Amino acid sequence: MSEPAATPSAPAPAAPADPVTALAARKLRAALGAAVLEVVETGRHPYVRVAPGAIVAAATLVRDDPELAMDCCHLVTGVDWPAKTPADGPGELEVVYHLVSYARRPAAEVLRSKVKSDNFLALKVRVPRDKPEVPSVMGVWVGADWHERETWDLLGVRFTGRPPLRRILLPEDWPGHPLRKDWEYPVEYHGIPIIPPEGR
Amino acid sequence: MSGSEPVPAVPAVPGVVAPATPPVVDASELSSLVGQSLRTEELVVNMGPQHPSTHGVLRVVIKTDGEVVTALQPHIGNLHRCAEKIGESLPYYQWLPYVDRMDYLAAINNEHGACLAIERLGGIVVPERAEYVRLILAEVQRVASHIFAMGVYGLDIGAITPFLHTFRERERGLDLLDHIAGGRLLYHVVRIGGVKRDLSPEWIDECHAFLDAVERRLPEYNALLLDNHIFQERTCGIGVITGKQAVAWGVTGPALRASGVDWDCRRDAPYGIYDRFPFEVPVAPSGLAGTVGDCFHRHWVRFKEVEQSISIVRRALRALPPGEIMAKLPKTFKPPKGEVFVRVENPRGELAYYAVSEGAEKPWRMRCRGPSFSNIAVVTEIAPGTLIADLVALMGSLDIVLGEVDR
Amino acid sequence: MSPSADDLYDPELQQSVLLTKVEWVKDWGRRNALWPMAFGLACCAMEMMATAATKYDLDRFGSGVFRASPRQSDLMIVAGTVTHKMAPRVRRLYDQMPDPKYAIAMGACVIGGGPYSRFGYHVVQGVDLVIPVDIYVPGCPPRPEALIDAIRKLQERIRVRGGKSLPPEDHLKNRERILAMSAS
Ligand code: SF4
Repeated sequence: MSEPAATPSAPAPAAPADPVTALAARKLRAALGAAVLEVVETGRHPYVRVAPGAIVAAATLVRDDPELAMDCCHLVTGVDWPAKTPADGPGELEVVYHLVSYARRPAAEVLRSKVKSDNFLALKVRVPRDKPEVPSVMGVWVGADWHERETWDLLGVRFTGRPPLRRILLPEDWPGHPLRKDWEYPVEYHGIPIIPPEGR
Repeated sequence: MSGSEPVPAVPAVPGVVAPATPPVVDASELSSLVGQSLRTEELVVNMGPQHPSTHGVLRVVIKTDGEVVTALQPHIGNLHRCAEKIGESLPYYQWLPYVDRMDYLAAINNEHGACLAIERLGGIVVPERAEYVRLILAEVQRVASHIFAMGVYGLDIGAITPFLHTFRERERGLDLLDHIAGGRLLYHVVRIGGVKRDLSPEWIDECHAFLDAVERRLPEYNALLLDNHIFQERTCGIGVITGKQAVAWGVTGPALRASGVDWDCRRDAPYGIYDRFPFEVPVAPSGLAGTVGDCFHRHWVRFKEVEQSISIVRRALRALPPGEIMAKLPKTFKPPKGEVFVRVENPRGELAYYAVSEGAEKPWRMRCRGPSFSNIAVVTEIAPGTLIADLVALMGSLDIVLGEVDR
Repeated sequence: MSPSADDLYDPELQQSVLLTKVEWVKDWGRRNALWPMAFGLACCAMEMMATAATKYDLDRFGSGVFRASPRQSDLMIVAGTVTHKMAPRVRRLYDQMPDPKYAIAMGACVIGGGPYSRFGYHVVQGVDLVIPVDIYVPGCPPRPEALIDAIRKLQERIRVRGGKSLPPEDHLKNRERILAMSAS
């Protein structure tokens, strides 16, 4: 989290590090080395960011490690981060994996202390916007299949190494990927007029 | 359908064995004859999008070999209503009505989750009484949703009576929510920072009456469905999802618990004030009729959850503290930069919101994970090998709502 | 002038025989047995189901026989949101219904896109762009009472104007109105 501390002299309640993320970061660093690009252990959404090429290795590790045992891929989603100015390059697309472990029971003190349950982990990957290719994790969790298809459909992230990506929500011949920030509303689809938001 | 070539002796229609010549052949000869001339081929059948058993506009393409499903592919998206794009295009509080419309059978639960996500993003603390009101409304909604699911499941597999019986009580539940929110189906009553309306003493009495009525009727539903021999025949051992499969596919909610995985967000990752009301999470035991993970168990879990929800609401109504129902909010709500991921337990499974804020009035990204989305994906693995008629039983028992599959 | 009934029958027969037009009898049958198609699209479909179920009991008006096949029904209650992916199918289902056929647009979504009309890129901004609609029921969702009222209105329309389907000119007019409404 990037909230500025209220007073620099009193950083008293140091935000507690998320135990699962810390553990996962340690293990991932040991196994993947420099492919772990960013670790955020505190705040409301702790995560580990890895290089796109290492995502399958990272996914396999967090699934098979008995201490982490992330056996369920809860959600795969994407966020579009276009460049603020054209000089900054094409911008980036971020893919976020939200993982859940059912094998790992929440510890009793976690339940009592009302901290977020410790069976949850987020992994992230960032790819350039003009070449958004991410290796698929479908081989690790079958359930990621439809989520990846949806991320392709709405954001245009191309997942590689899986059965061919087909659109899932929109029709096959729909123009573009609507959740990209620069996507424009079509004026018509198969003879049915669409009035864009400005006209409404 | 087949039968493009002329077949002399045996008709090409499967199942019709009417030999033109008297059967003077012995069995082995007959079987070899059948193997040659009864040409069977796989048929691709299209179920939906307008089909009474698909609960909306789901289209399923099934490859069948006779009555047996060999492969199937659900086609979703016929109800894609762009909720996430709308979420990015509107200020936070204006998105809440759209959240209702995602899972239109459990609108309060959806609102609850969305408000939790936005409140956590903005660091808003909700007053005590509002938390109680939210919990009560959410559980009343869960009861209404589950008894709806039970009745409609009966309808799916051919019993119309339970539908009429459960709707009678559901209408009372909807009236209850109607009296507090002014709408029968979609409420927009849980708001950022609290709830819109307070519970009146009359409402509380009415709520107790509703709970009593449902409790009184539960044995009746039971007699119509769970104890019904025909129902058992249709559901026991059908569409078995093992615990492993359920976890791998991301199945959540009653379907997960019916597969023997002991997990309920309300107990294991408590949100709101659920940690103050310990309750028993019904997990499919072995020893019921059928196999753990089949349609029967999914129905059973739903039935047991109604009982638990009733007890939660009763305790919450008794403990309802006085006080404010709305936190003080700034005029323009701009949460700081950051992101949150919030999971709540919907009647259909785990609903999750992933919100990214850039410090503006509108969110940068609003992602909602509808539980039905993953719950329906699992049929691609479960359905091959079942009969077409059982496919209807399987999909009905997952209790999907297309609004949140497609969002 | 055609001969009146008095010229044809003796007075005794007039006590027991009712003379009417075949068309009138047909319309009478049509309006009292409107068979809707079970065609739910979204949230409004839940209210349509509630209308048919215990408390509201659409059967009282002869319309409780929800048919699963378009070929057996003569009323299409479009309840829910029509999307671009679904629109061709709505049209096809409508075309499969035997004449005369009627359509009720239930809910804000099918009338003009409803809450999704602004940013919902995938929502058809009014089912009128796809099929002709006889009766519009506003609301999000309309209450069951409103749907019952719509069916009563349709019955009244059939009684007064005859059982013909909506003429194409009327549909075009509606369509233009919708387009003008959404453009303004
Ligand atoms: S009009 Fe409202 S209730 Fe009806 S389908 Fe549209 S959003 Fe749902």
